Amino acid sequence: MEQPNTASPTEVARKDGQAPAPRPDGPSPCHADKVKIEVHDLHFWYGEKPALKGISMQIRARRVTAFIGPSGCGKSTLLRCFNRMNELIPGTRHEGQVLLDGADIHEADPVVLRRRVGMVFQKPNPFPKSIYQNIAWGARINGYRGNMDELVEHCLRQAALWDEVKDRLNDNAYGLSGGQQQRLCIARALAVEPDVLLMDEPASALDPIATSKLEETILQLKEHYTVVVVTHNMQQAARISDETAFFYLGELIEMDETEALFTHPARQRTEDYITGRFG
Amino acid sequence: MPTYRHLDEELSTLREQLDRMMQLVEAQLAEVVNALLACSRTGAEAVVQQDREIDALELAIDRQCERILALQQPVAVDLRMLIAASKINKDLERIGDECKNIARAIPHLCAAPEVLRVTRFEQMADVARSMFRKVQDALHRRDRLLARQVIAEDQQVDRLYLQDFNDLVAYGAAHPEHMEAVAHLFSVAKALERIADHIKNIGEDIVFLIDAVDIRHRELQQEADGSDAPA
Repeated sequence: MEQPNTASPTEVARKDGQAPAPRPDGPSPCHADKVKIEVHDLHFWYGEKPALKGISMQIRARRVTAFIGPSGCGKSTLLRCFNRMNELIPGTRHEGQVLLDGADIHEADPVVLRRRVGMVFQKPNPFPKSIYQNIAWGARINGYRGNMDELVEHCLRQAALWDEVKDRLNDNAYGLSGGQQQRLCIARALAVEPDVLLMDEPASALDPIATSKLEETILQLKEHYTVVVVTHNMQQAARISDETAFFYLGELIEMDETEALFTHPARQRTEDYITGRFG
Repeated sequence: MPTYRHLDEELSTLREQLDRMMQLVEAQLAEVVNALLACSRTGAEAVVQQDREIDALELAIDRQCERILALQQPVAVDLRMLIAASKINKDLERIGDECKNIARAIPHLCAAPEVLRVTRFEQMADVARSMFRKVQDALHRRDRLLARQVIAEDQQVDRLYLQDFNDLVAYGAAHPEHMEAVAHLFSVAKALERIADHIKNIGEDIVFLIDAVDIRHRELQQEADGSDAPA
């Protein structure tokens, strides 16, 4: 979520009197078309096995970027690098840089980083609590002192779920449909006011109607957030994303405006993949 | 090694239908030119009758395009193939219609065959038929240069049409007794010119299919590019 670019304890004061350098765990301005995430020559290994091989790319702010590619191509690994989730897996290591608003995420507190870079997973995973508490809980433990009812409503509205649940906020979240649960997870992620939302195949467990609603939600979210979506559904990538990156065997093969990539890709391998001719 | 796809089978059917359409239209064009130059009423009638087959195939090709779009949701080169096929189909059907228009004018010309000698129809038809064979080859071989060559050749037909137009105006003024035949010759000249235009369109569609570049209306695109440029 957009934050004012004011000095804060999280910024690093510079001795030369220049404006303080941003810290990845601090607030940041966010303008459309500004680069939000920069990746420089990123390598990642699971044990000895390389999963990412020298990825360099830019993710623009307030846009939806889709990652596509066959299973094992590294797209989910890269997504999880953006909030250092991969570090929770023993035996992994990386080289290269990921910058969030120009600051290296590996110099940030991972907990704070994950608050700024939220994640929605393939399978909806609400807490076994009420709809209300699913949203309020994260905000409360992060020290939210404002009006909680307003926050819950705001987040549910942004996730396009408010109208469907406003009369049953105290019901258990497990009683919601799969699509509603997934949008509740988005609302929960929004409650801590992230800048970036990472989504790892968020619609793969949903029926077509729920998928359609989720896609509409994603399109609305980009007004305020930078969204990165991993998907196996290429029509979905074409429908919802502004830019698409195609990965193969741990390498970024091509990244372009989605319309360009799906109408006249620059690389033959991209065309072979999106047209289903992958041999 | 490419994997087998159901979409390949569907596109193969579409290509076969388009080939058949091209063969029918090429034969129609040859037949109507022969009937025109020989003032053959029988030949003209055959052309009018055969147009139904072209119309029927146009519908079948449109159905196949719609089916592939709905069921296969193609992208990139496959999508361009569908878009190009749909537009080529329309242009081929319009060529068939122009052949029919020429055929319907032929009986009116038979009453005054000497008027036909004023025109350059044979030359126009030769150029148009040559252009047609080239777009067939360009489509089969995915030959962008040949497609662009066809586009350029349309100017030859345009020039011949303009010359015919002026000559027919002069002839009509000098021979008012043949005014009805001259009026039909105007429509035949226009039909031949339009046939070449449709072939040119097919050439442009082939370039789009191969290169993913829309080369139609370049002046508009250049204007758009200019307006985007910094002042």
